[in-house]
Amino acid sequence: MITTAVPSAPGRLAGECRWAVETHGLTKRFGAKTAVNGVELLVPRGSAFGYLGPNGAGKTTLIRVLLGLTRADAGTMSLLGYAVPRHRDAALTRVGAIVDEPRFHRHLTGRQNLRLLAAAREPAARDRIGPALERVGLAHRADDRVSGYSMGMRQRLGVAACLLGDPEMLLLDEPMNGLDPAGMAQMRDMILSMVAEGRTVVLSSHLLDEVERTCDAVAIVDRGSVIAQGPIPELLAGAQPTLHVECSEPGRARALLAGTAFGARAEAAPPALGLGLGLGITLPAGAGRDVIAEINRVLVEGGISVYRLLPVQASLESWFLQVTTRLGDPE
Amino acid sequence: MPVSGAPAPERAPQPPADGHSRDRRGSPVPTAGMIATRIMELRKRRGLMIALIVMNIGLPALFLFSRLLGHAFVPRTSPPAGGNQIFGVLAAGFLPTFGFVVAATVGCTAGSRDLTEGMFRHLVVTGRSRLALYLARIPAGLAIVVPLVAVGYTIVCAVCAFAAPVVITDNGVNIPPGLSRAGFANWAGNHAELVVCNFPYNGPVPGNVACPSGPGWWSVSSATPGQAAPAALEALAIKIADQDYPGYTRIYLSPPASLMTEAGLWIELEAAVGFILGLGLASLMGQRTVPVILLIMFQIILTPILVGPGITHLQDLQHSFVGLAVAHLEPSGLPVAIGLPGVTGGAGSPGSTRLPESATEAVCVIIAWLAAWTILGAWRMTTRDA
Repeated sequence: MITTAVPSAPGRLAGECRWAVETHGLTKRFGAKTAVNGVELLVPRGSAFGYLGPNGAGKTTLIRVLLGLTRADAGTMSLLGYAVPRHRDAALTRVGAIVDEPRFHRHLTGRQNLRLLAAAREPAARDRIGPALERVGLAHRADDRVSGYSMGMRQRLGVAACLLGDPEMLLLDEPMNGLDPAGMAQMRDMILSMVAEGRTVVLSSHLLDEVERTCDAVAIVDRGSVIAQGPIPELLAGAQPTLHVECSEPGRARALLAGTAFGARAEAAPPALGLGLGLGITLPAGAGRDVIAEINRVLVEGGISVYRLLPVQASLESWFLQVTTRLGDPE
Repeated sequence: MPVSGAPAPERAPQPPADGHSRDRRGSPVPTAGMIATRIMELRKRRGLMIALIVMNIGLPALFLFSRLLGHAFVPRTSPPAGGNQIFGVLAAGFLPTFGFVVAATVGCTAGSRDLTEGMFRHLVVTGRSRLALYLARIPAGLAIVVPLVAVGYTIVCAVCAFAAPVVITDNGVNIPPGLSRAGFANWAGNHAELVVCNFPYNGPVPGNVACPSGPGWWSVSSATPGQAAPAALEALAIKIADQDYPGYTRIYLSPPASLMTEAGLWIELEAAVGFILGLGLASLMGQRTVPVILLIMFQIILTPILVGPGITHLQDLQHSFVGLAVAHLEPSGLPVAIGLPGVTGGAGSPGSTRLPESATEAVCVIIAWLAAWTILGAWRMTTRDA
């Protein structure tokens, strides 16, 4: 398992538990299937934390277990320092969550649904309905029935429901689902603004690009187990960058490089990033500029015209694909 | 793993911060706000409300309205819309049966819709006690059911009282309504021939009495032909009146206020039982349709079977059956079986064919059923995966 240290926001949480979520050996089984398998997870407070995994990896189940919606079969966990399920009620007063697709009473308006939920929270929650609707951009449709809402509007209503409790932490399960690009951007801004207010936001998703733009740290889950976690830059630092080479005679260039240490990693690259035909060379993790210069020298000395060299840092997506080897494998 | 140190020390629940100062969400007691919003949630179900209003208010109102129109336009062939008899038909048959079904439907809706519509998860995540979430549904549902049943029943009472016959016609004889037993006897003495020759009578007829205008209700062979003796005729008429008085009261001008009150409370009890059963069963099963069907079958098929005469080897089961217990609390002034399911007449009414059960036993059985279904529903609610 790949792990790196995840610092919490300095100073702000002195005297309080450092972790918003802490689990040890958390396990949940459904019959013979183990949906959550000995999960060790540490989510620092005051951060945006992504919980990534392919479909069926156990992301939603973990959130359900954390919230006490279903019982764990083994392991310990705490939310904001409160042991769950022992002090679940106390913990949930400070947590807002969307689990799975947000669904509401379709015959009620958005505002009425929030009134129903606010009544189950503390009395002050009722006063937060209006501001929450304003914040998620639903104020103008708040008095329409939910049956007329789009998926994106229901997502936003779900976030508004989370905000009713003025939570220290939000657990958002696939919050970008169903959102158009503008809606995604708004959701991203909203999440970042909540983190800026000192809240912790944990979001599970398979939209890697969005998570990379939104989160400070991530955990990768595959088949119920966390296989890597830590701050995104540190995780990607261990990933292998790619060098795109635009050149004449790519086939001969590949043959020239075959005799070097890079040969095994060079392959024909499709036209991408505005480049013409060429090669894509996977560089060793931590490779410096001298490696690129060496490749260029080999090609030029071999009579290949090099038009352009473009190093591309590993993205969260490429790193994710490297570490989740069984992606898409149902069993 | 660099980040894994010793597990963080467990944090004990701390006093809530500002804004949470009146927060007692671990308490199993629902707040007024929870009940109010739950009422709103049920009330806003337009389709359900329309169906319930049609069943519980619309149908009896339509029935009575058609009788009012009929009597207004064709009074000779259409009797008055109201009266004690119509009241008995509706209060003993229609309203309790439909009240039960309506209440059971509301109960099943309240018990299942949060789950099926995805709100249960949102509610559980608030940290509110699941027991409180369940218990909030009881007053909320009853706040819908009780007025709904009351409105339908009030319409029935109003029409039966204010559109009752002004003259009772029995076997072609016009009888003044509202007579006491003595008054009825006095009237019979003054109309001896009409009474003797037209009223039903089951008893010995003196030999010197005969119906002057032909054989009366008694067996012709039992009467000795001869001159009618006015005194004997009058005595027989009074005797017949005494025997027929219970029948006369059943076609009284309007139902007595005491009977209307008792019947109203009994119908509300039937509805409350239906609601609690529906809520518990739907919470247990996590759906609405099947519990509604089961409860309709329970009321329309099972109850009439089990409240009847004792079934050998099953009498203990019958005694512990809520349908029998509720039927035993039915006011005695309501009529005997009128052909509608689940109705066999008031506990004290003549011809009642129910398995005997004391009122105390009936009350205990009802309380036990209500408690058992509430506990079952609440247990499922608190243990269910959300």
